[in-house]
Amino acid sequence: MTPIQPIRLSELTGKISDTIRASFSMTGFWVIADITNHSFRGQKNHHYFELVEKDPDSNNILAKIAGRAWGTGADRISHFEEITGQRFTNNIHVLLYVSVQYHPVHGLQLNIQDIDPRFTLGVLEQQRQATLERLIIENPDFIKKSGDLYITRNNQLKLNRVIQLIALISSDSSAGGEDFKHTLVNNSFGYIFQIDEYHTAVQGENNAEAFIAKMIEVFNAGRPYDAVVITRGGGAQTDFLIFDNYRIGKAVAKFPIPVITGIGHQKNETITDLMANTPTKTPTKAAEFIIAHNKKYEEEILSFQKSIVIRSQQLFSSNFQSLASMNSLVVNKTRNILIRQKDNLVRINQVTINITRSVIFRSQSSLLGISSRILSKPESILYKRKNDIRQLVGHISTFKVQYFKNQQGYLGHYRSMIKMMSPENILNKGFAIVKVDDRVTSNPDDICIGNDIGIILSGIEIKSTVKQKDKYDGKDFNL
Amino acid sequence: MEKTLTYEAAYEELARIAGEIENESVSVDVLAQKVKRASELISFCQSRLKSTEAEVNKIIAQMENTGSKQ
Repeated sequence: MTPIQPIRLSELTGKISDTIRASFSMTGFWVIADITNHSFRGQKNHHYFELVEKDPDSNNILAKIAGRAWGTGADRISHFEEITGQRFTNNIHVLLYVSVQYHPVHGLQLNIQDIDPRFTLGVLEQQRQATLERLIIENPDFIKKSGDLYITRNNQLKLNRVIQLIALISSDSSAGGEDFKHTLVNNSFGYIFQIDEYHTAVQGENNAEAFIAKMIEVFNAGRPYDAVVITRGGGAQTDFLIFDNYRIGKAVAKFPIPVITGIGHQKNETITDLMANTPTKTPTKAAEFIIAHNKKYEEEILSFQKSIVIRSQQLFSSNFQSLASMNSLVVNKTRNILIRQKDNLVRINQVTINITRSVIFRSQSSLLGISSRILSKPESILYKRKNDIRQLVGHISTFKVQYFKNQQGYLGHYRSMIKMMSPENILNKGFAIVKVDDRVTSNPDDICIGNDIGIILSGIEIKSTVKQKDKYDGKDFNL
Repeated sequence: MEKTLTYEAAYEELARIAGEIENESVSVDVLAQKVKRASELISFCQSRLKSTEAEVNKIIAQMENTGSKQ
């Protein structure tokens, strides 16, 4: 028996260390593993964790080894988190680039050099991203990206105020479709819906053509659908691949009727969700969305109704008020006018009476003045006249004797004058009267040569004939 | 009262008469006539308003009935 030759533990660990270094020091490995027991020292930027591999069927742990990430490894983990939006933590499936290290105290460890975000994003996700990019590039007319949002023709459609006529695309007797219909039909507001069902397989990418054919059928039905609802219940991630199909995404984006999705999955939205008008998480949620949408409309209508009622009542009351105020205005003002007019009349009446009185008084007194003057004047006039007459009578009696004497004198004078001028007297003084044709004339022109004339001289008529007529200018009678 | 008279027209006329009366620009000769016309217009407006209100209330009641049925 060979005597035991123990070595020191550090000697052994040294050998192990040498062996491992010899085998692993120059190389690294890309490893797929799950993370457990993760801890992170923020100050030092150190990650500590364990890497495990589980049996996909039994979930038993097939392999397990400690891991750590310092320095470069920790930086790569930060980068990974940035790209994937996924925290580096327990229960994530990752692809790591590791080196194997052995430490005499800490044991065997994998030192993380790098982590591949693409692996975690997944091959499927990569495909999905590629499909999305293709949709944008190939269909610029109706698909655009704005930030993180996709703007499609379908999601720019405005939903009708009320959604009632619905085309439901789901698989025949699927739980999702039933959930949707149940929620919709049994809504607590009594809304009534009409649902046209279009059945098609909603899983497996190979059914995409059939699905698109159903959409075309919906379009060709010519029914005025308010919305197309696409539902699918829960399932494994790969079951939803159909909704990441390029052609379905394109069809939904372009569809002229708003598409509401209720595709029951909790992970990333499918491409169909991104293209649709309104994506919801489950068929039930899709139904609830529609009910809420209609409810909003009803509430608007009810509030309109309420405001109509209130406004019409306000209108009535304001009109009644203005009528009442006008009524009282008319009544009061009319009364005022009448009162004022009455007052005016009374005043005018008073004025009239007063003025009339004073006019009458004035007239009376002036009349009195005049009449008294009239009464006093005639007496004095008469008295004067009587006096005049008495004087006249005196004068007359004084002068009448003298008057008669004068008159007799005048008469005697006129008698002697007339006696002297009588024709007899004149004829006696040697003057003759000449007659032509028995008429006395004093005009020599009446007498022509040869005429018979009579000459009366002192009581004798002498008949004679005119022999001669001459002008005579003797001065025999010049007295 | 005229059959074609509308509330609006009646109200305008009423407002005009009320304004005249308020300004006292109405002569006494036509005051009675104006006041009579104003009272006719007021009762016309009131009855028109009341009947409209009754009608509206009826409609509102119907609206509320229909609303509560849902």
